[in-house]
Amino acid sequence: MPDAAPETRAVPPCTVRVASPLRSYTGGAAQVAADGSDLSAVLACLDAAYPGMRFRMIDEQECIRPHIRLFVNGNEALRLDAAVRPGDTVHLVCALSGG
Amino acid sequence: MEARLTPADRERYHRHLVLSEFGVAGQERLKAAKVLVVGGGGLGSAASLYLAAAGVGTLALVDFDKVDLSNLQRQVLYGSADIGRSKALRGQARLQELNPDISIVAHDCEVTAGNVMDLIRPYHLVVDGTDRLSTRYQVNDACVLQRKMLVSAAIHRFEGQTFSYVPECGPCYRCIFPSAGEGVTPNCAEAGVLGVLPGILGTVQATEAIKLLAGFGEPLIGRLLTVDALTMRFDEFKVTRRADCAVCGDQPTIRAPQESAAPVCSADQRARIRKVSPTDLRSLLARGHVRVVDVREPTEFATACLPESRNVPLGLLLRDLPALLDAARAEGDDVVFLCRSGGRSQTACEQAAAAGLAAPLNLAGGLLAWARDVDSGFEVPLP
Repeated sequence: MPDAAPETRAVPPCTVRVASPLRSYTGGAAQVAADGSDLSAVLACLDAAYPGMRFRMIDEQECIRPHIRLFVNGNEALRLDAAVRPGDTVHLVCALSGG
Repeated sequence: MEARLTPADRERYHRHLVLSEFGVAGQERLKAAKVLVVGGGGLGSAASLYLAAAGVGTLALVDFDKVDLSNLQRQVLYGSADIGRSKALRGQARLQELNPDISIVAHDCEVTAGNVMDLIRPYHLVVDGTDRLSTRYQVNDACVLQRKMLVSAAIHRFEGQTFSYVPECGPCYRCIFPSAGEGVTPNCAEAGVLGVLPGILGTVQATEAIKLLAGFGEPLIGRLLTVDALTMRFDEFKVTRRADCAVCGDQPTIRAPQESAAPVCSADQRARIRKVSPTDLRSLLARGHVRVVDVREPTEFATACLPESRNVPLGLLLRDLPALLDAARAEGDDVVFLCRSGGRSQTACEQAAAAGLAAPLNLAGGLLAWARDVDSGFEVPLP
């Protein structure tokens, strides 16, 4: 009979899919992991790992920059207090200019 | 809008006609349709070839540029013999060769805030494949103001995004991205692009245009489709019309296309920006009292940089400008901005001018020019 699952286990982080123009911060990685119970915490976690990345998305007034869209599990998040749960996928989408 | 099919049309478009969703009625609607493709680049090449083949009755291509050897890796509308020649005119010839039974129009001109309204007026639908953000907003705003359908797409390195706008049915481009100044994302020349990527996105655009015009299927209205060719992942995001959208919202403030999506500085401030040549910069460095700010991305800077420079990526410049300018003023230093080819550093100069720097300096031609004129051993990495 298998052992019982431990009572506590590490909270799995959320998955962050990174827009192409922001990948210079993640060493080219298209997908990274981050912790946080809301979008603000997730972005803070990202900025700790990849300094400067948050400012590319959030301005001095704590607003999402107008050329950036953030989605949690495909649903648009217009506020930084949008909830993020373990296992969620956060997409960072950036306006692209090439043709 | 409808036009009768000829016997030759029935043969050419037979595979459409046997599709129950398409049929004769759909093909006749396509024959009566007038479509403008903005930009004869990678997206416009793929989209226009398929739209011509599909039988769009009037197909127009607008581009002011000439074919360059470096275009041919992705701009499949042209061949090597077209190098140096007008994209609009060579594209017209190629499309007419592909389908002599339709009308192909060439607009060999630049799209501007001043002409975009007249350019799109004769057409039912616009396919936007431009490579400039300001043009992207001008085309979007003109389509909203004239109630035209728009199929928009953009690309960067291995990633692309596309969606369709139909008046009063869903969000416009400004609803999704309310504004974006030039320089927020490097263009294809600076950042590179996988040649086949605009083929993927351009054919999605052609598919959307055909569906919208012929009247079948579910278009990408209110759905932003992104493609990552590196992982070959297609993602879709629900996007909604913004009541506060500046052009299609409840109380619009944009009544005509604007010169720039987000003016960085005033014309007076822009006039104070000075270009410095690589040899000028060498002299400035020898004299001292100059701060050199490299606005490329950190990975580019790490590969090769001028030893006197410090790295502030363009996206972080607004955050760091106040401290930078204070320090420069305290020391009486000039501030020179540079990047790979001079585009991003021009935007940096505009931001610095708007922040109060009296005379920002821009290294003309960027580090590529530095390597050419001053230090032939300096290898400038791709972004």
